[in-house]
Amino acid sequence: MPLKILTLKTVGDKNLGAATVKLTGSLDTATAPDLERQLSPVLASQIKHLVFDLTELNFISSAGLRVFSMARKQLKERGGQASFVNLQPQIQEVFEIMKSLPGVAIFKDMAELDHYLAMRQRAHEENRQ
Amino acid sequence: MTLELHATPEEVMRAVDAWQEFGRARKVPERILFGLALALEECGSNIVNHALRRDARQTFQVSLEHTGTAVTIELRDRGPAFDPTRAPAAAAKADDDRPPGGWGIHLARHYTDEIRYTRQGDENILRLVKQFARAAGAQNPLPE
Repeated sequence: MPLKILTLKTVGDKNLGAATVKLTGSLDTATAPDLERQLSPVLASQIKHLVFDLTELNFISSAGLRVFSMARKQLKERGGQASFVNLQPQIQEVFEIMKSLPGVAIFKDMAELDHYLAMRQRAHEENRQ
Repeated sequence: MTLELHATPEEVMRAVDAWQEFGRARKVPERILFGLALALEECGSNIVNHALRRDARQTFQVSLEHTGTAVTIELRDRGPAFDPTRAPAAAAKADDDRPPGGWGIHLARHYTDEIRYTRQGDENILRLVKQFARAAGAQNPLPE
């Protein structure tokens, strides 16, 4: 079961530094190292908010959860966050079993995520005033 | 059905693919299919990463059995004696550098009714059993 990784361009205000990573297929012991390698330059940048679009992710194991956990930690260190959107039911269950990744936001869909990002944007602008 | 696999992550996924094909052919319900695929992935990964230290020359075996009311997946390896069922149950929070076995066995327990380890000669034998007759959501009890 391969894994396709697509990193979409930064969305939102550049000061928030958000990017979306869309995963298709299986995130497992064989494919997790690929994701870790591809995330490395993204996490080395000033990105603060990483959105993982899991619409087409149909399998995940602890190997994948560890990559997410690593990303979350690095983002948290710079005041950012990892978000997960559009989880398939079986993937949602895995997250719940692990009570995975405290401090991580899981959104039902992109509309809910957009709303969240808009609120963060407003809060960011208010803090700057 | 028995597979002979080399100690690599790709071979673990070959076993997972074989299980899914085996299960689909026997009309195993989707949730059980996924759950056992994950349990197999986790247990197979533990063998590859820890027991056999990713030595591709080493092999391990995966056997699949379907009786109509239960599925049994058996993993055998000739690594050092190690009982993964005695690993401490993973805490709910994944906010640490927990070694792979902790998370993996925790996930495997959720999707199986029984995980039994035995040592026979120089072989570790791990049996994963899932009954079909159990109510949905029933979980494998954690050790005291």
